[in-house]
Formats: sequence, structure tokens, C-alpha cells
Amino acid sequence: MTVSTRRAFLQTSGTGLALLAAGCAPKVSDFAQKTGRRVVVIGGGWGGATAAKYVRLADPSIEVVLLEPNKEFVSCPFSNLVLSGVRTIESMTFDYSRLRDHGVRVLHEMATAIEPEARRVKVGDGYLPYDRLIVSPGVEFQWEQVEGLAAAQDRVLHAWKAGPQTVELARQLQSMADGGVFVLTIPPAAYRCPPGPYERTCQVAWYLKTRKPKSKLIVLDANPNLVSKAALFRAAWANYPNIEYRASNKVVKVDPGAREVTTELGDKVKYDVLNLIPPQRAGTIAVQADLVGADKRWCEVNHLTYESVKYKNIHVIGDSTIGLPVPKSGNVANAMGKICAVAVVNLLNDKPVPPMAPGNTCYSWVSDREAIAVVNSYKIEGGKVVQIEQKLTPGQSEMWAQNAVGWANSIWHDMLG
Amino acid sequence: MPIILISLLLALGLTGPAAAGPLDGPGAPQALVCSACHGFAGQSQSNTMPILAGMAPWYFKKSIQDYAAGKRTSPEMEPYAKQVLQFGVDDMAAYFAGQKRTASPVKLDSAAVERGRAAAVQCTLCHGVSGKGDPAKGVPDLTGQPPGYLRHQMLLFKADRRSPGDAQLKVIKALMLTIPDEQLADLAQYWSSVR
Repeated sequence: MTVSTRRAFLQTSGTGLALLAAGCAPKVSDFAQKTGRRVVVIGGGWGGATAAKYVRLADPSIEVVLLEPNKEFVSCPFSNLVLSGVRTIESMTFDYSRLRDHGVRVLHEMATAIEPEARRVKVGDGYLPYDRLIVSPGVEFQWEQVEGLAAAQDRVLHAWKAGPQTVELARQLQSMADGGVFVLTIPPAAYRCPPGPYERTCQVAWYLKTRKPKSKLIVLDANPNLVSKAALFRAAWANYPNIEYRASNKVVKVDPGAREVTTELGDKVKYDVLNLIPPQRAGTIAVQADLVGADKRWCEVNHLTYESVKYKNIHVIGDSTIGLPVPKSGNVANAMGKICAVAVVNLLNDKPVPPMAPGNTCYSWVSDREAIAVVNSYKIEGGKVVQIEQKLTPGQSEMWAQNAVGWANSIWHDMLG
Repeated sequence: MPIILISLLLALGLTGPAAAGPLDGPGAPQALVCSACHGFAGQSQSNTMPILAGMAPWYFKKSIQDYAAGKRTSPEMEPYAKQVLQFGVDDMAAYFAGQKRTASPVKLDSAAVERGRAAAVQCTLCHGVSGKGDPAKGVPDLTGQPPGYLRHQMLLFKADRRSPGDAQLKVIKALMLTIPDEQLADLAQYWSSVR
């Protein structure tokens, strides 16, 4: 048997084999019955795509079904560079074809409910039975936290899930008159990607400084200080006198008609272009399925297996989790995806789960060519993830930017290659 | 499912629980955290991160110890090196040494490779004509590593920013000072091309 034939079979183990014979794209109804052991993964982002791939790598006898509504993956890390025009959105957009090569059954569908007792996921009118479920739905926005936002979702851009909104925000920035005011609002922690808003501040400020020197950028931060890499960002901002940073300025109201936001203190701030990053919680399916804790926002998990503390056989990874001393970053979600995959495979094979800890490598671009970074490493102590060390770059440089490019190419390949 | 397909699946061992898989064994699960930058099984896909697959265990261990001690300064590697020491550097060294290495996928510039080949004799005194190094003298294998990583390490030696004060590295640092930066890039391209 040739290698390619064997790979074709690897791609189509379990239920999928009959589908290939029938020559049709997979549908939910094709997975209504489960013949062998099956893992269902909800969400094809940094956590879910990685977990799906690594379950297959760890044990190709396990069928993996990945539910992801989007046909393409767009990376949030690096997407701030689209706003400054340094990168195109296409350069960070990937399809799921290589996951299919690993034998992952990718369904571009939305999971609408989880039934923990029946061990099945509802998708449309159909159900997918599972042995173990990995939930990686990312974040959802708490629209109701800002008055006027729910009704203006399509006009007030978050650009906090990379994709069409990123491109539209870049277009608005480019179209703004020189002398215009760009307002960026930052939600209270915890939110996806702690340094992300401050990197965005750098990219917008760099763009304005080089293209629209009479314009300014007002940053309204709900937090009392920069949440991440504060000293490094403040040093970078010394190059951008066009930034007006206001800490402890939580935005509570938006009026797109008047082009105005209102802070908790009652200050009204006018804008020409607005980027409002709303407060966040775990992805909708995690809330609907009662995987979130008493805060109704985030999911608590076992630190070794990522199994939900509330429901057996359901694992939660990525930005939806809480309780580990890790940031909500793509790198952490990728690490959780791999650890969870190995844990799930070992549990399905009745083997002990080895102790594994995540890591966090996080670069931020502070201009068109320079970057800074923070790195966190972890160990397991008493069954919990504990930080060993956090290290920052001593300053900003082109070398860290080159390392950032190397990191991005590597980790995109690790998830989707 | 047709019977013939079922028998094929059985023949391929795809129906039952797997025996020891590629992610089993000492060091393998703990090494997964490395793959974000160094690639699956240490097969780096990038220009800046070295390939760990097939790396000699003594060199992996020395590198981790030097990063953890701050002798090789790297804000990225220092925390991770401490994590590796926490989980067992010998197991992870053995895991990566056992992975089959394929050369870096980074595209090389053939003209630079040829210029590097012509200049490479100065490296071979220690690293050997093959470039595979000499464990007895603590000299590592250069071959097939990404050119960006090789060039960066040479620049660090030249600036005395890698393991300052290390007597063993005096010779290489003195040599690096005699080589123009452009030629370091050519040498990196050449050694990356060697199999």
C-alpha cells in the first residue's frame, strides 16, 4: 500500500470512511451515530484547532469532529498590524484543509446546546454523540454593559475578533481626515489578550504620526493602569505624542448618532472614528451549557486535564477559562489545546494523565518594525498550575519583531499545519 | 461499512486503542509546550528558532542550563529553560534526540550558499568538514539549522553576548571578530544547506 493511500485512510477513519465512499461533504446527520470512540471539539480557534489536531496525532484511532462556523481562521495576534497597513489580513488567514489531512472531520456548523447526561452536542436539528467534548469557544461580548451598544453592534466596531471588522476599522482609519480624533476604549480585565489594546494604541498612533500628523488618539482605559507590559508600552509611547491616555475611564455609553462616548465619571468624548472593545465573558455555548462559574463569565477547570469542574467528560480550554495564573492569549490556548488533547486521549485509553504545564510567549508590535515581549513559564504544584517566572524584553527592538514573525509562523503551523 | 474496508482498517490498526503513540513516553508530553515555537517534535518551521529534532542530548542539556542560568541571555528562553529543568531536562533531551531531523524549510539563497561554502573552511577546524561538530570538545552540530538562527548566534558570539567570560568560547569569539557581518550571513546560509 502506498503512503498516499494510507494517508487517505487515516483521513477517513470511523464514520468518515463511508462518506468518502459516497463522495459527499460531511454533514451533521452523517455523525448522528457513533461507531468508535469520538471526541467533539467546539470552536476552531487557537485552542480548538490545536486540540483537534493533537488528539489525532496522539491516537489516530479516535474520531475527531471539529465544529467551527467560519470557513477560514483569521489570527488575532498580528491583526493590529492590519490597522497600520504593515500587514494584510490575507497574510494571517488560513483554511482548515491541513486539519482534514490529519483526519479531523471539520464541520462548518455552530453548536447550539450541550447535553452532558446524554453526552451529545446539538447542532441545528441534529445531534453529535461524543465520548469526550472539548469546548473552546473563545470570548463573547457583554453588549449590555455599555448603554446603546446592543442596538449599534453593526456600526460600533470592536475588531477584537480578527476578520471583516479589522479590515473595516483599517478602512475607517485611512478615511479619517487629518486632524480627526480616533477613540479607543479598553474594557475592564479580564478580557482576551491583555496587551492587545496597548499594541493597538501603538499601531494606530504610528499610523497617525506618519500619515495624519494633525490627528490624535484618545485611549479610554477602564483599568487603573496598563494591564500588561506597562513600562515597555509607556517607553514606546514616548515616541507618540499624539496619544492621550486616560486611565480609570470606563466607557458606559455610546451614541453613534452624536459620535460620542460617555465615561463612568460622566465625561463625554467626541470621536471621528471609534473602536470600542466591549467587556467580555466566555463564548455563548459555555454560558448556555452552564459551564461558567458563579460570576456567569468564565469556566473553572481541572489544571491537569482541563475537564470542567461542573460536568464530567466536558473539557474547556482557551480564553473561556479562569483560575489558572495565565493570560488569555493565543499561545496559552495553543498550549492548553495540546495538553488537553493528551489528557483526553489518555483518559479514553484508561491511562494516567502525565503532568504538563502551559507556557506563554507574547510579542507586541510597538511600531512598524519593532516589538517587545513577555514570556511566562509554569509548573504543576499540588495539582495546580503555578507560575515559575515572568520575563520581559529589556526594551524594544527589531530583533524581537523578527522573533515575533518566527513565533507566528511556527505557532500557526502548530495549530493548522 | 463494506467488509473489505473494515478489514483494511483492522489491518492498519485503526480500530482499537493505540499502543504507545507518538506523544507517549518520558519527556514527550512535556515537550509539547515547545512546539509552539520549535515545531511538532522539534522540527522548527521558522527562520529564528532552532530545530531540536535530532539534537545531541548533551547540547540540548547544556543549552537549557545556560539559558536558565542567564549565560545565554534570552527573555524568551530563560523562563522556558526553567520549565524544562522543572519537568526533567534529561527526558526531554532524550525525546528530542530521538526525533528524526529534516532540514529547515526556510528557503535558501543559492548564491549566498556558494559564497558561504567558499568561506566555510574557517569553521571546519572545530566543527569538522561535515559541520557535525565534536561532542568530546563540546562543539555542536551546525547542519540543517535555520539560517536566521545560525546568523544570530554568530552575531551574539561576535558581540560577546553569549556566555560572556566562558573560556571555551574565547577562540570562536576571536574568530567571529575577524569575519564581516555579511559573510556571517553567507556562512549561516551554507551550514543551513549542509545535510
